[in-house]
Amino acid sequence: MKRMDVSKLREIFGEQNIKTDPSDLYSFGSDSSVHHAMPWAVVRPDNTEQVQKLMVYANQALIPVIPRGGGSGMCGQTVPIQGGIVLDMKHMNRILEINLPDVYCRVEPGVVDDDLNLALKSYGMFYPPTPASSRIATIGGEIANNASGVRSVKYGATRDAVLGMKVVLPTGELVTLGAHTRVEATGYQLHKLMVGSEGTLGIVVEATLNFVPIPEYRCMGIANFDHLSDAGAAIGEIMASGAIPSMLELVDSVAIKAVNKTMNLGLKEVAASLIFEADGMVKEAVDYEINKMKEICKKHRGSDITTSYDPKERAKIFMGRKKLFPALSKYDDCLSSTSLADDMAVPYSKMAEMAGKIHEVAEKNNIIMTAYGHCGSGCMHTKILMDTKQPEQWASARKAITEIYEYVRSVNGTTSAEHGIGLSKAASFKVEKADSLKLLQTIKLALDPNNILNPGKLMQAPDDWVTATGLRYAVNN
Amino acid sequence: METKKATRFNHLQKWESTLAACIRCGYCFEHCPLFKFTGWESDAPRAKLITAFGLLSGELELSETSADKMFNCFYCRRCEAACSSGVTLTDVFTDAKKDLVEMGYTGPGTTSITEPYCAQCLLCVQSCPHEARSHGENGIETDPVKCQSCGICVEICPAEAAKIVHTFGTGKADLIDASNRFLDTHTSAKAIVFACNWSYYPDLQASRLPESETHDRDYEIYVNMCAGRLETETLMAPFINHAWGVLVSCCPEDDCQHKDGGKRAKKQVARLQSILKSLDIDPERLQVVEIPNGDKTLFQAEIDTFIDRLNALGPIT
Ligand SMILES: Cc1cc2nc3c(=O)[nH]c(=O)nc-3n(C[C@H](O)[C@H](O)[C@H](O)COP(=O)(O)OP(=O)(O)OC[C@H]3O[C@@H](n4cnc5c(N)ncnc54)[C@H](O)[C@@H]3O)c2cc1C
Ligand code: SF4
Ligand code: SF4
Ligand code: SF4
Repeated sequence: MKRMDVSKLREIFGEQNIKTDPSDLYSFGSDSSVHHAMPWAVVRPDNTEQVQKLMVYANQALIPVIPRGGGSGMCGQTVPIQGGIVLDMKHMNRILEINLPDVYCRVEPGVVDDDLNLALKSYGMFYPPTPASSRIATIGGEIANNASGVRSVKYGATRDAVLGMKVVLPTGELVTLGAHTRVEATGYQLHKLMVGSEGTLGIVVEATLNFVPIPEYRCMGIANFDHLSDAGAAIGEIMASGAIPSMLELVDSVAIKAVNKTMNLGLKEVAASLIFEADGMVKEAVDYEINKMKEICKKHRGSDITTSYDPKERAKIFMGRKKLFPALSKYDDCLSSTSLADDMAVPYSKMAEMAGKIHEVAEKNNIIMTAYGHCGSGCMHTKILMDTKQPEQWASARKAITEIYEYVRSVNGTTSAEHGIGLSKAASFKVEKADSLKLLQTIKLALDPNNILNPGKLMQAPDDWVTATGLRYAVNN
Repeated sequence: METKKATRFNHLQKWESTLAACIRCGYCFEHCPLFKFTGWESDAPRAKLITAFGLLSGELELSETSADKMFNCFYCRRCEAACSSGVTLTDVFTDAKKDLVEMGYTGPGTTSITEPYCAQCLLCVQSCPHEARSHGENGIETDPVKCQSCGICVEICPAEAAKIVHTFGTGKADLIDASNRFLDTHTSAKAIVFACNWSYYPDLQASRLPESETHDRDYEIYVNMCAGRLETETLMAPFINHAWGVLVSCCPEDDCQHKDGGKRAKKQVARLQSILKSLDIDPERLQVVEIPNGDKTLFQAEIDTFIDRLNALGPIT
């Protein structure tokens, strides 16, 4: 272990903002992924200057620094694979400005997404990228992972909402990137480079974000399909129809069965359901869009189609999707719901085939996998249910994942649509981006010559995710 | 990780599959009063489960500090209500505590303790809603497994010998300090709202709002662990500091987690109202309202009505 001088950390942050006891460090070694590794210390900055001082010290002492927001990343982005100092950004959580005339807000990176939306609500506005984890995910973590969510099909991902930012580079230098305006063509778009950089290029200490008005009308619908291919065909046609869904979600038969089994919701056990939504300021326009989506579902043999503007009815329609997480966790006492190969994207025309492929690969490898997701954005989610105690199950998961990613790449899909790469998806990422890996590494080292900022991730991650770090599960010998 | 089982966690052992079932989403931690107070993720419910896993698997060394993670909990079950995966966290903590107690670790964490100058009046033993206090060879003892840190014994003890050491912002001194600070720093301040953690309190808002939004607030909400434990001093301190009024929220009488907290709160408020009256202060300036668990709309409506009433009454002259 490189020598870490705790007194230096004390000098920068004060005793009350440092943790070095193993009982604290242990929990900072995890996020929402399967990985675990121990950091050496956790520090909690309150301002940019402290972040700069830390980076100057760490860069000179060659100590890894791992930025951390809510720790809800699903691929081990915040797991300190080489040890080092966890930089917990949650305390830099001030909403600095809500500028209504100029339609932007400025926030510190530790602001929780839901909190920002709560503050914007009183102005009739919302921040749209919003991942499902918005109650815990921080703006810094969302930028670093380029988070998106159910509404991204209409409103875009984090990438589309970030106008500018202030960033502390691994050397401690503070730079201002982007602008406060909607468009900018003033040179390299370096703020966009930070989006999706997974805390490896710089530490976001302030962000300027776009927001949009909360729509007056929201209408949601559901359609059931007896064949996955019919649902798949409907997705592509909806997206090309001119109707812009504010949500378009697919839930497969395994997911429906899981929800019924554990929650007793009594949903019809069909091959797939599509949940669609339109929103806007004018009811006639929303009517038009929702009817268009309904017609397309009908055309592709969708049945039991219902739509509603009523919030309670909408909640009912969304129930199956909403209850999916707890359902999968309770599916079977021996099985855990793991986040692996969980967010690939494929072209619309391949959505149905992708879901079918997932079922086929799961069966072949003796694990349970569901397919669901934001199909309007081309994003397919999966969860792998397996007995995490059994080493053979990890071997099966490894095999299944390799096969699935091979398929994804073969149809011009991409490894991650939402959650990023971190450690868990590095293997497929490296194959997919083979011809730009050198370039990525060049960029990394230009900004971080000593490779101290969140090292060992993305292109630097080990090829085998199962052995990359300790696992958060107890696996039998 | 390879399994090196610590054989002594006999009770915790049965939660092994639950510890694996937790997807570590962290949905629980924004709701936890411990996390809200310290801001350290390692005090939040998810971290407690990770700690329990570490102790059970032997990856994390058992120490006073790691044991304390299990003893620090108010049993408010906010985490369970927020959990994405139906994990019954407090059951896991209780079993971890049983093991730890058997191994000689007793916290105290948020468990109440008794100072040596206890008068042995046994009032706390009779009042503890969870039968956690008893009179034994060594005087009054608290069972750390049963104690749910409601603080009722602390409020009732005439000798001030019953104490909770780690209050995480919910003890008498914390509440008085915080409400005084708000009244001192906000010229617009009119009221203090003491919200029972069980009835309703604003879940998120861990982030700090712009100064422009907060500098002219009329009131501030402070969370306590049971309205039935609000001491006279806590409720009266804001009046000394020029508050126009104090509002207390408690749970409906048939829904109190700590048996008769709501009833106690109402009795306490009625008693203090008559004191206010004798001081020629309108007793309406101190009020208690019942808020069912999670009823955000009602809570806000009650606060708004109270502020309207205070505006009609004006400051205390
Ligand atoms: C149940 C669940 C549901 C989810 N749903 C979605 C979803 O719908 N859509 C989606 O996109 N994601 C989803 N996620 C994944 C995750 O929540 C998002 O990626 C989120 O953006 C992570 O934010 P965080 O604050 O938790 O970041 P963390 O996990 O703490 O960190 C993520 C990355 O950001 C870096 N980082 C953090 N702060 C900074 C900073 N200030 N500067 C630079 N780098 C920083 C870290 O180093 C790390 O690489 C989900 C996760 C869970 C557990
Ligand atoms: S029961 Fe309450 S205090 Fe205990 S961990 Fe859960 S939220 Fe925190
Ligand atoms: S909300 Fe539930 S599943 Fe998520 S981290 Fe907390 S205990 Fe685990
Ligand atoms: S009265 Fe409350 S705090 Fe005191 S011992 Fe009983 S449960 Fe614990």
